[in-house]
Amino acid sequence: MVEVFAVASGKGGTGKTTSTVALGMALADRYDVTVVDADTGMANLLFHAGLSDAETTLHDVLADDAPVEAAAYDRFGLTVVPCGTSLDGFRDADPDRLRDVVATLAEDTDVILLDSPPALDSRTAVLPIVLADRIVVVLQPTIPAISDGLKVQEYATTYDTDVAGLLFNKVRESESIEQVSEKTERYFDGPTLAAVPESERAREARRAGRPLLAHAPECEAATAYRAAAESLTVRDGAAADAADRFQSAVIPESL
Amino acid sequence: MKLPRGRLDKSRVVTDPRDTLADVLDRELTGYAVFESQETLLLDGEGRGVITFTDGVPVLVYHTGTDRGGPPALADLAVPGPYHVSLYALDNADLESAHEAADLRVPPGMPAERLGGDPALADSTRRAAPDERLSAMGDGDAAAAEDGPAEQSAVEAFLDDAEKIEAIKDQARSEARERAQQWEF
Repeated sequence: MVEVFAVASGKGGTGKTTSTVALGMALADRYDVTVVDADTGMANLLFHAGLSDAETTLHDVLADDAPVEAAAYDRFGLTVVPCGTSLDGFRDADPDRLRDVVATLAEDTDVILLDSPPALDSRTAVLPIVLADRIVVVLQPTIPAISDGLKVQEYATTYDTDVAGLLFNKVRESESIEQVSEKTERYFDGPTLAAVPESERAREARRAGRPLLAHAPECEAATAYRAAAESLTVRDGAAADAADRFQSAVIPESL
Repeated sequence: MKLPRGRLDKSRVVTDPRDTLADVLDRELTGYAVFESQETLLLDGEGRGVITFTDGVPVLVYHTGTDRGGPPALADLAVPGPYHVSLYALDNADLESAHEAADLRVPPGMPAERLGGDPALADSTRRAAPDERLSAMGDGDAAAAEDGPAEQSAVEAFLDDAEKIEAIKDQARSEARERAQQWEF
């Protein structure tokens, strides 16, 4: 089985990478999970997973200089495929090879999480959403984050990618998140998976280069991420045709 | 809301209102900004949003299309960009009478938070705000106390506007369809 999720938000700063790694670690209790930094222009998964010294990254794979196995690292119970941060690496990378990367990884894992670029303004930014089976939309309870999240959803569903759910992040105590999430759900095709409180632990974890669930597994935010993962039912994809499915992922003919 | 015209300081198209708020704060501008979404389809007729500033810190928000002020006007303003933004500089004295309109006021950090989606910029704005602006809304942990319920009403007002949200979704869908061809997926 394999299901590919793009963890997406229209805007930066919503804590998307923290959320990708946390969801991945929580899902790893039940599944074999691979996390890929698909934000090839502004990579930061490597800093969250203690991989800032990684020699081979997705950039090398996308430049056809290394096989994907060489850029896959076992960390914190996950397979992590980090991306490099150099401009040269970005320039030499062919984003279209991401299809093959996902297809290759799909042969040998249950869940793939694509940490997606916080934008919809280029082919590269949107490709992870096209490749994914479903998206997890990371939102803050703010007007710009919600309206950008709506746009992400409409792009996804236009390209035949479903919505797995919403993850409210960096929620402050003063914010009446129940009302906001209930009203937000009216406009989205998926349920609220969890509301993750704004967390000093998450900031500490980022500074320490460790995932939140490794740094402070018992904190409130970590508990919320586990609840989110718990409410995600991973769908059985057909393993046999996985490679084919992602290599030929296109938007529906009906457009 | 009546404002003297002032001196035109800048007039440009921005994709993110955050940039304007950051620029105004940096330069400690006193005056006002007029935001006009380029996506006029989403706005009712002549809809423009006006934010006034004292020394770079937002004071009032008003929307000409909906005739609403304060936090709900921020929700009216929160439509997809790009925006055409004009900045006008004024003297403090010119803004005094306008700034008496308490119903148009917003907490200092709210525009950065709700329009710009940038909590860090909101924090910088609160730090730049005079004490009486913060204490007027409650003391203690200024960020939470000041921005809590009032800001939420802006988000909820936005979410209650089903028509506008459908318009945002429609626009995104047609954009996605157009770009699919352009990008040759």
